[in-house]
This record gives sequence, C-alpha cells and structure tokens, in this order.
Amino acid sequence: MDAFSEELMGFVQKDNQVEASKDPVPEIHLPWLSQHIQSTGSHGQKGTNFAQTTSICLNFIQEALLKHQWQRASEFLQCYLQTLEDINSQKRQMAPEISLQHALYLLHNGMVEDAYRNLNQAESWRYGEMSASQEKLIKLIQAYRGLLDYYTWSKKRTEVSSFDMDGFATNAATQDMHSYFRQASVNLHEIIKIPGVWDTFVKSYVEMLEFYGDQDGARQVLTDYAYDNNFPSNPNAHIYLYKFLKKEKAPEDKLISVLKILHQIVPSHKIMLEFHMLLKKSNKEEHHKLGLEVLLAILDFSGCTENITAWSYLAKYLKQIIKGKHREWVQEGWSSRKDWWPTFHFSYYLAKKNWKENRILALKKAFTSGILLGKGCKYFMYVSKQGHKIREKSIKTMKKFVMKHNILDSEEH
Amino acid sequence: ISNFYPWDPELMSQDLLFRGRVKQPARAKATIDVIEQLNHFLWDHGDIAFGPLGMLLQENFNLGEKKKSRKNKMVMNTEWLLRDLNGYQPKGCPWAHLSTRQRRFSLLGGTVLGEEVENLLGGLLHEELETRWKRLLLDEASTGGALGWVPGAKPHHGQLVYPTGRAHDQLNFQKVKLSPTNEPQALGDPSHILLRGPVRQVVTRTIQGEALVAVRSDHHCALWKLEHRGPPEPLQVLEMEKEATGISLSPHLPGELAVCTRSGAVCLWSPQHGLQQIHKDPETFVFKDPSSWRWADFTAHPRVLTVADRTGLRFADARAPSDCGELLFRVGAEASCQRGERVLLAQYLGTPDPLPLSPTLHLVCTQFSLYLLDERLPLVPLLKWNHGLLSPPLLAQLLPPPYPEAPLPLLLGGLGGHLRMLHLSGSGRTPQLAAPPQSLPSLIDSLPGFPVLEPHGQQLLQERLRAPLTGLAAVVPPGCPSPTMLLFQLSAAGDVFYQRLWLQPDTSSESAGSPSTDHPSAVSWKPRAVACCRRWLKTLLQVPPTLPSWTPPTFSQHHLRWLKEENKGKVQEGLRAAMAEGRLLLQGDLAPLPPSDPPPAHEPFGTEDKLSERLEASWERKGAIWWDGQRDGSRLPRKRQSREKRRTQLSSSFSSVRSTSDFSDVNSPLPHPPKTPSPLHRMSETSQSLELSQELWVKNIPRERRQTLRDYLAVLPSPDSGNCSIPQFQNPSSQSLSTSEPGKCSVPCSQNPRTQTLFSPLPESYSAFYSQNPNSQSLYSQNPNSQSLYSPEPAFNSVFHSQNSSIQKLPSRHTPSLAGSQPLRKKPRMGF
Repeated sequence: MDAFSEELMGFVQKDNQVEASKDPVPEIHLPWLSQHIQSTGSHGQKGTNFAQTTSICLNFIQEALLKHQWQRASEFLQCYLQTLEDINSQKRQMAPEISLQHALYLLHNGMVEDAYRNLNQAESWRYGEMSASQEKLIKLIQAYRGLLDYYTWSKKRTEVSSFDMDGFATNAATQDMHSYFRQASVNLHEIIKIPGVWDTFVKSYVEMLEFYGDQDGARQVLTDYAYDNNFPSNPNAHIYLYKFLKKEKAPEDKLISVLKILHQIVPSHKIMLEFHMLLKKSNKEEHHKLGLEVLLAILDFSGCTENITAWSYLAKYLKQIIKGKHREWVQEGWSSRKDWWPTFHFSYYLAKKNWKENRILALKKAFTSGILLGKGCKYFMYVSKQGHKIREKSIKTMKKFVMKHNILDSEEH
Repeated sequence: ISNFYPWDPELMSQDLLFRGRVKQPARAKATIDVIEQLNHFLWDHGDIAFGPLGMLLQENFNLGEKKKSRKNKMVMNTEWLLRDLNGYQPKGCPWAHLSTRQRRFSLLGGTVLGEEVENLLGGLLHEELETRWKRLLLDEASTGGALGWVPGAKPHHGQLVYPTGRAHDQLNFQKVKLSPTNEPQALGDPSHILLRGPVRQVVTRTIQGEALVAVRSDHHCALWKLEHRGPPEPLQVLEMEKEATGISLSPHLPGELAVCTRSGAVCLWSPQHGLQQIHKDPETFVFKDPSSWRWADFTAHPRVLTVADRTGLRFADARAPSDCGELLFRVGAEASCQRGERVLLAQYLGTPDPLPLSPTLHLVCTQFSLYLLDERLPLVPLLKWNHGLLSPPLLAQLLPPPYPEAPLPLLLGGLGGHLRMLHLSGSGRTPQLAAPPQSLPSLIDSLPGFPVLEPHGQQLLQERLRAPLTGLAAVVPPGCPSPTMLLFQLSAAGDVFYQRLWLQPDTSSESAGSPSTDHPSAVSWKPRAVACCRRWLKTLLQVPPTLPSWTPPTFSQHHLRWLKEENKGKVQEGLRAAMAEGRLLLQGDLAPLPPSDPPPAHEPFGTEDKLSERLEASWERKGAIWWDGQRDGSRLPRKRQSREKRRTQLSSSFSSVRSTSDFSDVNSPLPHPPKTPSPLHRMSETSQSLELSQELWVKNIPRERRQTLRDYLAVLPSPDSGNCSIPQFQNPSSQSLSTSEPGKCSVPCSQNPRTQTLFSPLPESYSAFYSQNPNSQSLYSQNPNSQSLYSPEPAFNSVFHSQNSSIQKLPSRHTPSLAGSQPLRKKPRMGF
C-alpha cells in the first residue's frame, strides 16, 4: 500500500469519522470514490497539490509494471524517489518493511550474505517512535535473521560431519556452530511465541534442539505449536508433532490421539491412510469403527475421488467388517452419504470413464458400490458386464459376495 | 458478437453529486446534490409532487371554471392568479414581476406547500439518490458476471451464454467455433430465451458430461441443461421473495446449486432434491456491516459450502445446517486488512479436473487486494496481492494451464473494464506467483484502432467501449500448436468482444528494453478484425440515438384549463400515460386535433379578386353597376366589417395549420420525433377560436355549399362536440381545393409571404410533426373520421419501423476483436 494514497484516504476517513463516530466500524472504503468526485468537481481548476502529483506518479509506476514496461517504470520510479526524499515520514517508518522485502528477494536469488547484512541493517533502523506494528515487524526481521543463522548452522553441521578434521579444528567448528545455534534459537524462540503460522521457523528450531539432544524441549515446542488455542488452526503443526512422536517411537495410542485431531481438521490428508492402518491394527473396537469413517471421509473429497489406495483399502475393509458382523457400522457411515455418493462416485458416466482409464480402480469401486447400493447399482452393473466381456476373474467372486452381503438387502431382512 | 440497441450510460456521478467548487479535491467528499434533484423532480413530475396537495386544496379553489354559485365563500377563484403565473417567470430572478395576488398567495401558502413537498418527498428522494449513488460506486448485482462459456461436444466448438436487450432480459446462446490460428467464428444467429427479469449472473459448468447453465435474476433463479443438438432444456425455476445475490453450480454433483438471498439465507438447491436451507443469518459474521449482500460457493467437500458476506467467509455444512461453521477468512488482522476493506467476491478455485494446484484453494477479492486461501488452513491467507484496480473486482476466473506444468492464469476483471492476469504455480503445495502480474488491455484501449470519427460518433463509440464490464469468459482452445487464450468480454451495452493472447517465450532477462516488451499495449489489428470492427462501428453509428431522459416542461396549466370539459379527462389520461411510459407527449395522447383545414390563402386572393373585378368593371365603365350589385349583396355591412376582421385573424391561424400540413408535400421527412410538443399550444388555441367562431360562420354558408357541409357533418363525430368545426366550408373555393390535387394549392401557400412569416416563429419540429403525414389531406377527404387526422403518429411509427428493419437487415453478428497481443511469460520467474 502506498503511503500517499493512505495519506489521502486518511483525510477522507477523518472526515468520515466525524460523521460515523457513533459507529465503531468504518464504512466500506472505495478507492475509486475519489475518481468519481474528481470527474464531477473538475469543472473548475484542477487540483495540483503535491500529494496528488506523487500519487499520480505512483499510479504510472504501477501501470508500467503491470504492462511489463520495465524501462518506463524505472524512469518514473526515479522521479518518484526524488520527490519522496524529504517529505515523507511515513515512508521512513516503513523502511524496515522495505528492507525485509529486499532481503527476501536477495534470499530468493541466492545472495544469502547480502540478505543477512540487509536484515541486520533493518533491525537497527530507528525512526521516530516505534509503533506496535513496527515492533512486530522488527521481530519478524529478527526471526528471518535467526533462520539465516540456522542455515549457516546446518551448513556448518554438514561440514563437521563430512570432513575428517583433527580434534582442535573440530572443536573450533563445533564452537562456531554452537554460537550460531544460540543466536538462531533466541530469535526463533521469540517469533514462535507470537500466534501465527511459523512452519519453517518451528521446523528449524526443533531440528537444532534435537541435534543437541533436547528432546523434551523439542516436544514441548511442537506440542505448544499444535495445541495452543491462540494459534490459528494449522494441520502442519499436528503433522510435525505426529512425525516427531513416530520417530520417538511413541505408543500408538498417543499417535492415534494426535491424528484424531488432524482427522477432524483435514479429513482428506494423505496421512489419513496411515491413520486408517493404525486404527485397523488397534485392539479397540471403537478404533475399528473410526477406521471405516476415516476411509469414507477421505473419499468424500473431490481431490481424492480417484485415490486407488483409498478405494482398495475401503473394499478390503468393507469385506472385513461384514465378515466381522459389524454391518451396522457400514449402514451408519452410509446414511449421511447415500443421497449424494451415488451421483458423486457411482454414476454411469463415471463407470464408463473409470473402466476406460483405470480398470483396477473401476473394479474396487464396483465392489464398494455393490456392497453399498446393491446389485442394481449402475456402476456395479456396468463394470461387472464389462468385466464379464473380457473374462475378468475377480468379477465372479465379487458378484457372489455382493449378492450375499450388500447392505441394501440386509436392511430388508 | 453484438446486439444493437441504443445504449446510454444512464446515471453518472455528475448527475448525482454536488458540483460546487471543490477547494481541495483530495479532501473532497461525495455530496449528493439533493436540491438540484428535487428541483428537477418538481419540474418533471409536478403532478406527483403537488398533485395530492392540490387534491386536498381543490375544494377551496376554483381553477377558472364557470361560476356555479356564489354561495360558497370558502371557494377562491384562482383564475387571475393563474393568469399571472402564466407569464414566464424566470427562476430566481429578483426583478421578476410579482403581482400582489401572487405575493399574498405565496405568503399564505408558501410555507405549507414548500414544507409538505420537502418533508414528504425530500426524505424519500434523498434515500433513493443514496441508493443510486451506492449502486453507481459498487453495483453488486453483477457480481460473478453474466457471460458463460459452455464447451461443446467437439473440441473446438462451444457456446457463449449472455444476456442482451435494454433490460438484459434476453438470454442468448451463441454457438462459436474456435480455431487454433484464425479468429473465432460465430455459427449462425444466437438462439434466445426471453426472461421476465434482468439476467444478473450466468454460471456454466460441465460435470460428468452434462452441460448446465444457471442464471440469476433479481427474484428468480433458473437452471438449463444444454444439449448438443436442439434448444436448451429448462430444468427448474426458483422464485425468491428477497433479492438473490449469488448463485453457483456445484463442481462435484451435476445439477446442484448454491443460492443466496438478501435475507441472509443460503440454500443448496437441486432439481432432484429441491431446496435445503443450510445457513441463515441476517447478521454479518465478523462485525456489523449494513450490507445484506451474501455469496455462496462450494469447497473441496461436496457437502460443505462457503458463505461470504462483506466481512468474511465462513464454512456451512449441509449435513449439519444448524452448526455455525468455522471462519475461513475474516476482514481483520490475520489478513492485515486495511480500514474499510470489505469482501467483494469469493470464489472456489477447485475444479473436477485434476489441477496442478491443490483443490482446496479459495479466492477472495476486496477493493484493494486479492487473497488466496487454503480451506485446510483457515484465516491465514497463503498469498496476498494488491491488485490496484480502480473499479470493483467482481469477475474472476482460473484457467487450466496452457500446456502441461505451466502456471495457471488467473484473470481478474473490474467493473470498469480493467483486467489483471496472474500466473499461479505450485503443484500441490503453496501457490505462488510464477511471473509478474500483468494488466491486459481493456476495451477502451482499442479506441485508437478505430478510424477517426466526427465528434458525435467518437463520443458514441467511446461511451460504448466504456460501458461497464459485466462478463468475462476465457477459453484455452485445446490442441493448439502455440498455446493461446481467448478472452471474451461482455459489456453492459450488450456487446461481446474478444481478444486473443499468445503465450510467448520469456525474453525479458536478455532484452528488457526490446520493443516487444516495451510497447505491448500497442493494439495490433488483423485485416479481418479491422473489417469486423468497421462493420460493427457502421451499425453502431446507425442506431438511432436515445431520447434525452429529461425534457423541459412545455405547457402550462393556463392552456389546458381552457380545453372543453369532456376533453379534460382525455388530456389528463394522455398525460399520465405518456409520463408513466416516460415518453414524449404526442398529439395523439390529447384531445382530437381540430380538423386541419384547407385554404387559408384564398382569403386574400378573394379580396384581390374583388378588386380586380371592380377594376375590370370600371375599365369597361360598369363600375357603378358593380358597386350597386355589391351593395345589394351585403346585408349587414357594419357587423360584417368586424367579422371580416376577425375572419382574417382566424384565417391566419388556420393558415398556419394549413401551411404546415402543406409542408408534407415538400417532402422533407425528419426521422426524429418533435422534441417540443408545441403543437399542443397551437392546437388548443385554434380549437378555442374555432369553437367561438363556428356558429357565426355556419349562417353565412352559401346555399350550394350547405349540402356538402351536411354530408361532412354526417360522417364526423357528434357535431356538438364543437371541435369538428369546418370553417373552410364557408369559403366558396374550399370545395375545389379538397378535390383538386394537393400540390397545386400548396405551392402558392408556401410561396405566400404572409404564411411564411406566420410559419417562421413556429419551431421546426412543428412542421416535422406534420410532415410525417404526407396523406393527411387525402385521408381527410376519403375518410373524414377525426381519428384519421392523427396519422402523424402511425406515419412516424412506420418511419421508425423502417429504420428498425434497416437495422435488422444489416449484419447483426460481428466479432470485433481487440487483437491485442500481450506476451505470456513462458518461463516461470519468481519475484516477491
């Protein structure tokens, strides 16, 4: 956001505030309003005050950039910067942000050292009183600096482990590494206390903690990151925790409890297939029941409709459940889906498409559709007919099972 | 592809805002000019403004009717007051003459009259103007866009679905053939369906081989299924009490829709299962906002929807409608929103096709920025970009990649015609901008490509190209050797334009200053496109201009009140009807026109003939005999003199009428209706004088003419109506006139200097009015029905029709192209 239009809008807002002082929420702010007013008011002399000129210049720059006219944009930018030199205090306060953006750009182009220097400068920048938002920004800059420290740390670590060095050299390198760790950890620790999404920062911090054997510290960081209610819901936090616990060989119950939450947030995550296997292996019957729900929930999502693993898991699990006399689980899971799964998964169009593109998928789906919808289901009928034509062996057993065990017929009994 | 009907940009900010001198434009605030508008309103719709009050006061005022009784002293005669008012009183002129009567009346009644109007109407008007102003700033009705593309059975065929017509109520289905190299071709005329409301939004979707079109009108939503052959099959129509604000078709289940209305309700709707309300909350989600705009779209889960209002985006689960879903986006700190920032558009970016992007992405547009959100990671946007559009971004479309593993183009369209294109990449992971965003040429940028026109035409063209962008549909034709993108744009004027964009290899790193990158805005026109545009322009310039929406009042109470009692009702009816339809008051709306009558001119000739007779007689020395004969013939010489005088006056007024009808013979048809209904003035005057003079003249009819008169009177409507007076029959020469060919008499008429001068003060339109009726005379003599005299109207209509038909004959389908070639960047480059 350019400072000038902000300034410009500031005036308008101040005016609005007088009127809408009773209402704490500002009215909708339309940036094109000033255009309308100008087109009406421009009958007299045109206002040419400084703020307007600069904002026009800024508009030119934006336009040139959007039209990929780089040369033109840079010419305008020069003029713009000249006009800004002295007058704009707001811009100066925004300097750290610009530095951060610049640093990110440098990072992206592999100029790590320049970026680091840039961040250092940005951190020490002071202009006027520091506002709350600026304080946050400085923390962010520090965090990025911490991330760069981590980067150096991890480079050093590979150096130490790969080269054969004498004791003294190793010791010095380790010392060096440790100082980077300390620098990084202070900054990283600070930023992950602020509610937000800090995936990269958390991962780096945890990696360093793990390296120095602070398992409890690492676990604490991950648990806080996943379970702190002030933080926005973040599936990655749960995945990190799960992976950490899995590496630690934590008891299965603990793993299940972590994944249970993930299942509630993102039922379509591919780790849910792993969750299903965990539940299947479990001794508890309620876990077995949840295992079915997990599979069905994966297949609810449009991105997973052709996930062959999920369909084959489901076909296998349905067979197991029916043999285990838990038909009511299937019926329960099916009741909330029966009004839309038939068109979503088991339409005639999809039967033709699946059979053409992926025969195994079609067979797995056909079996499931037979169990859930009975032998009259279009999908089942089409696939079994086609399978019959090419003498697919599994068709016969599938048909036999469906005839005997589909939940539709059993409802009637 | 365009549809030609006169289009005017309706309201503009200039019409609504206070136009006073603004000292500091930066600090200027929009001030709605209610006083000016009220002023206009009182002038234009005085009957509405003052009518009810007049009705209340009616008992106490007498508007110049004949005095019925002197008993009621509470009744005041306003005849003189009205007469005073009748003179043109310049508005606000301090030197305007003010009679004592006027002064007294305004002192007594002024406050009452003024306050009533101000209090009752002012408030309402202000409210209305505010709504209009808000709509001008943000026309949320067209959110989502009204142009849809339906791919056909063959890879390069498809249909465009869009509304046209003045009221946007005609839904068109235009078959289009795409070509990898050539311009797209419209196949035949569009088939259309006429709806009963304006089409605000058109949504198309092809799921499981079924092509569906959903349409949102203000109070109706409808669903069609498109067959490859045959007309579209209507599936179901939904009627809503509250205005519908959004409709979307499910990308998962064929025929399932999400509909939301201003009541705050969001429903899942399918022709099979009917309606299911899944959310209802008249309040906004995050903080209180007065807007009742709601929007609904789908998510990666077919049973979960997103519901948007101006303050945020929330999930709504169809399986548990009572639950209050989680927030996906909120205008606030998480997205670092600005003050006064609001959600203008929300769109689910997933499609059934496996895309390189995760199917969980959602787009949110505000007046400042564009946000990309992942539904698995609510509240924290994955990407934020300041779009810098100077009009509300109400249109967006994500396109499939032009070639495998290319970034996906995301188009953003502002109502003002501004276009932005972003390139999204990130296979299954966080989406990223793959190249610098681009601004695409808007319709008005194509103006330099058109030939230079005269100012009027130039303005017309500019207005047409500046019409708000109400629809956007981009197509990437499959199987092209060099990937291209076709961009169709629908304007509020009903034109569909297209531009083609070519994907170009990235050369910016080596030759940043090369001309191709420095001047991409130069519009390139192919010869075919030029021809196309010229055709379009030619047709556009032939469209008759729209009538001005406002015309100054042209008659006063004074003239109307003199009309005869039985005509009053008709006049009022006519006036009301004309006002209700918002058209010009035509002669036909009022009382029957007094028969336009033949010869004004022979009167002077008559006297001249007498003179020549006398001269002739005296030449032959028979002057005394002639004189005696003359004296015997005149019975009432004195009275006659005065009548004679009057007759000349009258005949002069006739002559004006007559001469104008004669003008038909001059044959100068004007295509436009008269702008000022001044005939009304004239007509009432003539009718008045006719009525007065009739009895006098009937007595003086020569015997041999009386039979003819009787014949005519028998055919005319009741002779006591007075209006069908036939003064011309008093004149001996009139008979010959009506039988002789009209041209003969018209020549001396128009040459007569007296009629000329009489004619000249009349506005030209007067003659134009009559000139439309070349047959008035013969019509009159063949069918002396008073109605036939109103032929100006049908005659005018026919002119209009013929114009219409000439328009229809012109090629009505054009594909003017803005063949602007913007380079697409091939190599994804990262920026920040």
